[in-house]
Amino acid sequence: MTGTAEPIVMDLKRAPNVHAATQAKGEALRAALAAQRTGTGLAAEQLDALPVPHRRVERWKHTPVAGFWSTPEAPSVQTIEAAGSEACPVPGLHAYRMVFVNGTFDAKASDLPVHNGVRCEPISMSDADAGSQGPLESTDWFAALNQAFATEGMKLHVAKGVILDRPLLVHHHTSGENNANFMRHDIHIEANAQVELIHWSTASDSSTGMVNIMTHMSVESGAVVALDKVQDEAGSLQHLAFEQINQAQSSQVRVHTGTIQGNWVRNDLNFRLNGEGCETVLNGFFLPKGKEFVDNHTTVDHRAAHCNSSEQYQGILYGTSSGVFNGKVFVRPHAQQTNAYQQNGNILVTDKATINAKPELEIYADDVKCSHGCTIGQFDEEALFYARSRGIGEKEAKAMLVHAFIGDVLEGFAVAEVRMEVEHRLAIKHGWDTWNDTLESA
Amino acid sequence: MAYDGNDKVLEEVTGKSYEFGFTTDIESDKAPAGLNEDIIRLISSKKEEPEWLLKWRLDAFAVWQKMKEPDWPHLQYQKPDYQAISYYSAPKQKKQLNSLDEVDPEMRKTMDKLGISMEEQKRLSGVAVDFVMDSVSVATSFKEKLGELGIIFCSMSDAVKEHPELVQKYLGSVVPTKDNFFSALNSAVFTDGSFCYIPKGVRCPMELSTYFRINESGTGQFERTLVVADESSYVSYLEGCTAPQRDENQLHAAVVELVALDESEIKYSTVQNWYPGDAEGKGGVFNFVTKRGICHRRSKISWTQVETGSAVTWKYPSCILKGDHSVGEFYSVAVTNNAQQADTGTKMIHLGKNTHSTIISKGISAGKSHNSYRGLVQVMPSADNARNFSQCDSLLMTDTSGAHTFPYIEVKNPTAKVEHEATTSKIGEDQIFYCLQRGIDEEQAISLIVNGYAKEVLNQLPMEFAVEAQKLLSISLEGSVG
Repeated sequence: MTGTAEPIVMDLKRAPNVHAATQAKGEALRAALAAQRTGTGLAAEQLDALPVPHRRVERWKHTPVAGFWSTPEAPSVQTIEAAGSEACPVPGLHAYRMVFVNGTFDAKASDLPVHNGVRCEPISMSDADAGSQGPLESTDWFAALNQAFATEGMKLHVAKGVILDRPLLVHHHTSGENNANFMRHDIHIEANAQVELIHWSTASDSSTGMVNIMTHMSVESGAVVALDKVQDEAGSLQHLAFEQINQAQSSQVRVHTGTIQGNWVRNDLNFRLNGEGCETVLNGFFLPKGKEFVDNHTTVDHRAAHCNSSEQYQGILYGTSSGVFNGKVFVRPHAQQTNAYQQNGNILVTDKATINAKPELEIYADDVKCSHGCTIGQFDEEALFYARSRGIGEKEAKAMLVHAFIGDVLEGFAVAEVRMEVEHRLAIKHGWDTWNDTLESA
Repeated sequence: MAYDGNDKVLEEVTGKSYEFGFTTDIESDKAPAGLNEDIIRLISSKKEEPEWLLKWRLDAFAVWQKMKEPDWPHLQYQKPDYQAISYYSAPKQKKQLNSLDEVDPEMRKTMDKLGISMEEQKRLSGVAVDFVMDSVSVATSFKEKLGELGIIFCSMSDAVKEHPELVQKYLGSVVPTKDNFFSALNSAVFTDGSFCYIPKGVRCPMELSTYFRINESGTGQFERTLVVADESSYVSYLEGCTAPQRDENQLHAAVVELVALDESEIKYSTVQNWYPGDAEGKGGVFNFVTKRGICHRRSKISWTQVETGSAVTWKYPSCILKGDHSVGEFYSVAVTNNAQQADTGTKMIHLGKNTHSTIISKGISAGKSHNSYRGLVQVMPSADNARNFSQCDSLLMTDTSGAHTFPYIEVKNPTAKVEHEATTSKIGEDQIFYCLQRGIDEEQAISLIVNGYAKEVLNQLPMEFAVEAQKLLSISLEGSVG
């Protein structure tokens, strides 16, 4: 069948939506950053053209930005030792390691891979041009800000057919007040290579300010990549994570995002399936409590035929926390035989918790199977009763249900040690002492 | 493609030219193009309106001038020039009519072509028809019969004259003038529409129905409908639209307000078949409608719509579930074809305790059309035990069409149960194969499958409408629905 007509409503151009007060605050932040540090010199045009996000911008409708505008300060701490934290947040993990503290590479705490065909180095030590990074694909003002000011991060290149023997952990730690930490990870995985990546963010109790991480990944044909992303930040940070993942023919990428702790977290995960036969899995969970805010925006852009994508995000909201889920599945005109699945489940535990979900489908091809589901509810009374009638306390019973609810996501984490540590930290955060038992038998 | 035979049916269904595309030559009294305060004063004086209504219109106009036309829908169209539209046109005949014989023969012919034979309807179907041709209601039947029960069913202009207290109390109470760009425009310039009031405890014995038609080239139509169901009453209201063929885009910005007081029920059904434009989308109607109902305690509002026409549709029939134990329902079939674009859906706003809502939306996209479902389910902190079930399915007929889903789910209460599911697919080849195997040819198989797909919604329509709706879907039913 032919399908040459371009859809007229795709990528609709809309007039930039500017909120004067927010725009002024954003400009002030940008000016303060420009005065304070040397940026990359990139993205100036985008920053000029893009509106600073506010609640009238569709993608930021439920995401408050008020916490962003404090004047940034240069970080005082630049090593994990000085920050008084652990180099490796996952006990017993046998992995290569890159540690960044407040956006600065900590060579002493790192353990770079020594492996044939693998080049892994901080951008600051890379001999490649600073401008060699790909173009900005996001139309988000904060992503452009990252492009303009991120001078550090990981540069990873895995040559054709190379299988990295251990996972590669990127640990980012934040401490101190009024941070504005920009990081950019450039990852290039050549054909048929395989790699397991872990992104782990931590922060000290007193940390404040912004963390803005952009991960740009290019996955060539037949390559297999797993990314386990864990956010466990104390303090009151504003954490922004952008991922732009471009997949070529027959590549496989699995991304699991776990938000254990974070005052304000936004994940903006984007996939572009450029070649036929791609496999994409993106799963995540978030269990905010107190006043925490977690936002997951995902986009899966099916640009070629015969690709499969599967998405599952599970959220349990406690206290006065709020959550946002926005999942978009985009099927372009020639992407026939696409199979896309999206599921978002949410449980509101307390009466002050809020969830705003928007599972979207935008489909321009006919021979596709796309489905999405979204539920919002509470713990199953009958299941609770079942457990309690067998002598399990209410708290323990609920913990079991939580484990079941996010179990599918947890199981998908590629590195077993990461999954164990995630479960352990969740148990500590929520005071479930029974979890370790259920896990060991699992 | 395996079912190339489909194309034949699809062509038949989708490539059929607009049957009801004819115009009626009736002299009409028409205001000059453009919109300003003087035009609003002119409309108001032509309609012999009281001072409060004129002020209300002018306030709305002042608000509208400050508003921007929304650009968030998933639609692309040339924005109408609001100063190039004539905001008032009325057939010249003004005298009171006592029988059908007095109606202009031209207009009678139009009615006949539409299949609304007044006598037939009076005698056989028991449907009271408030026939609106270009903004002024010219014939109303069954008024007396309804009058005996205390039911008021008349044109909006009559209601303003005869029942000002009711109109003043409820007009704009559900859709405030400031609500959106199109509702503000409508509030400023609406010319006519229907008003319906069901008194306490009365169950309206017949389906109330209004036929709207856009006539008179270059005029927009701004209908205003207000349905008030008093305590413990019931009414089923039908609205159907057909419009003559046009070359320039016509704007239709209607506002429909439903008020369901305690323990009442309103069933509002629409078959929308405005002129969709030619195969390139030229000349179709722009349908920008604001429809909303408010449910008080233990009341129920049910929206059913079959959307087949219009070049551009922007329509979200909504329910505000204000009272405890109130129920909102939305059933929709939207068919888009050729270059049609539809962005339609619903809003269910749960405020009261134990409120329930159901959303069933079926989209069918053919040609190079785009069909979007956009819905909001909002559960506010006060809405304990709110329950929502949403299902939005899309059927794609061609690889150049698009089906999109934008559901917004906002929950602020932990006792709420909200479910949303959506699927997008084409007609299953296995289903076609199954039919073929049993001697049902491909055309019929597709008809069968499409009808089965939409049946959940079609079943919600009152009998009289269901038939028309099926006709509009242009697919023979072959005994699957009685």
